[in-house]
Amino acid sequence: MTPDRRRARAGRMFVAPNLGALAVFMLFPLGFSLYMSFQKWDLFTPPKFVGVANFRTLFTADPLFLIALRNTAVFTVGTIVPTLLVSLAAAAILNRKAKAIGIFRAIIFVPLAVSSVVMAVVWQFVFNVDDGLLNTMLGWLGLGPVPWLIDPGWAMVSLCVVSVWKSVPFATVVLLAAMQGVPETLHEAATIDGASELRRFVSITVPLIRGALSFVVIISVINAFQAFDLVYVLTGGNGGPETGTYVLGIMLFQHAFAFLDFGYASALAWVMFAILLALTVLQLRFARRMSLEI
Amino acid sequence: MSGPTERVIKRSVVRAVALYAALIGMAWCALFPILWALSGSLKTEPGIAEPNLFPAHPQWSNYARVFSLMPFWRMLGNTVLYACCVTLGQVFFCSLAGYAFARLRFRGRDTLFVLYLATLMVPLTVTVIPQFILMRAFGWTDTPWAMIVPGLFGSAFGTYLMRQFFLTLPTDLEEAAVLDGCSPWQIYWRILLPHIRPAVMVLAVLTWVNVWNDFLWPLVMIQRRDIATLTLGLVWMQGQYVSRWPVLMAASILILLPLLGVYGFAQRAFVRGITLTGFGGR
Repeated sequence: MTPDRRRARAGRMFVAPNLGALAVFMLFPLGFSLYMSFQKWDLFTPPKFVGVANFRTLFTADPLFLIALRNTAVFTVGTIVPTLLVSLAAAAILNRKAKAIGIFRAIIFVPLAVSSVVMAVVWQFVFNVDDGLLNTMLGWLGLGPVPWLIDPGWAMVSLCVVSVWKSVPFATVVLLAAMQGVPETLHEAATIDGASELRRFVSITVPLIRGALSFVVIISVINAFQAFDLVYVLTGGNGGPETGTYVLGIMLFQHAFAFLDFGYASALAWVMFAILLALTVLQLRFARRMSLEI
Repeated sequence: MSGPTERVIKRSVVRAVALYAALIGMAWCALFPILWALSGSLKTEPGIAEPNLFPAHPQWSNYARVFSLMPFWRMLGNTVLYACCVTLGQVFFCSLAGYAFARLRFRGRDTLFVLYLATLMVPLTVTVIPQFILMRAFGWTDTPWAMIVPGLFGSAFGTYLMRQFFLTLPTDLEEAAVLDGCSPWQIYWRILLPHIRPAVMVLAVLTWVNVWNDFLWPLVMIQRRDIATLTLGLVWMQGQYVSRWPVLMAASILILLPLLGVYGFAQRAFVRGITLTGFGGR
């Protein structure tokens, strides 16, 4: 056997187990999910073909879908906008040269490793109305008490607060890495021209880390749009109080694993996938247009 | 002394103080929920309302109660077992396939790689339901197999990551070995794998933390306490002992500690992995 053929055979063998897993646990489920979205199926009786009925119900006859869509949009915006603002500032601060800055970075990035479930339990304790830390501290300022997880509106605010706490370190890590790639000489030149620090940040740093910003936005949209763990644990699994935190992830879980309506849940999953794809494409277009203008 | 120099020194002192104040403020924001949980885990149930960070009489017995209220060690063992199996499998099969995609030419390779990239776009929400039905068809629901096998043979994400690292290695490393008559396996195992140890570390840490923190999959797969993971155990406990904060916080801290240990040990690899992949932004 020639070395080239030997290498080709080895290549196929090395990929085979991985490809097998991809086919069984990814490609087959993908196709099967699409098939299910046109069926009515509770796992115990044979599936029944219903055409596009699942999708039609979703868009025309299920008021909860619109509520979930609205809540998810609010949650996504309420997570991403504060995350971007805070992490831009945080990355700018952490980008300085100072003693012990490495230790500060390590501490500030701790939430990266912490699981959403544990943090949701811990934040419940922080949000506790009667004796939670947040209301106690607001009390010192003469404010509150705020019904954090009890009032539907405030429950969404609470959810966003925890989500921001969790995603700021991620965004900061990515933005900081990008900022470290901005050449020092640009800043020096601008300083000589008399540009203030804020001015230099807005006109030099931010445009140069556009790519990283766009990356952070895309990943954060994908994560926020599918939020489940945090919501399930923080507000009790039903998207309550009332429908205050009823997001698409919770709706999907309920229809599949509580109501055993697998066809309907699969249709919902594909609608979510389609919206996510559209948002990602729009975002990439927008980012490209921005880069052309600048 | 000249005035301007003094002013410059004063300004740089003010700036340094402001910088450290900002850093300390940020560190506090990142840590206060965890510190508050630690403090709460050492308080008594009636004393939970006191807003002091350091309880006067730390109640270590809360931790002992966690062990009696949930099978903590069992769940810890399960979680470690699942995390280790999946991590080892991911690292091995993804690096093997990543090497093939980067260096070994075979027909259909590039088409196949595009397929891998395309599956990266598929969100978890679409695959979780059919995967659940698949596990049910295999008879694996409520068994450890459901927690281990789907992740054991690698993933598109890991393969992509490893391929990118293999591409950065110089080809002459390999050419010399080919001339010496090494087989592709020997080249992978003896020569290239030692060179991409940092990449292996990145993938291993990301996978380990991800399995440790996973919640949706164990939630739909597992009902039995004796094969449950720690996150699942915590949520069950939260449902059973509503508002019994000291015990809940003690359990949370116990679940956090091994993670913080891994983070402290592999912080660089972890942060690097997140910068490269956006993984773990959840």
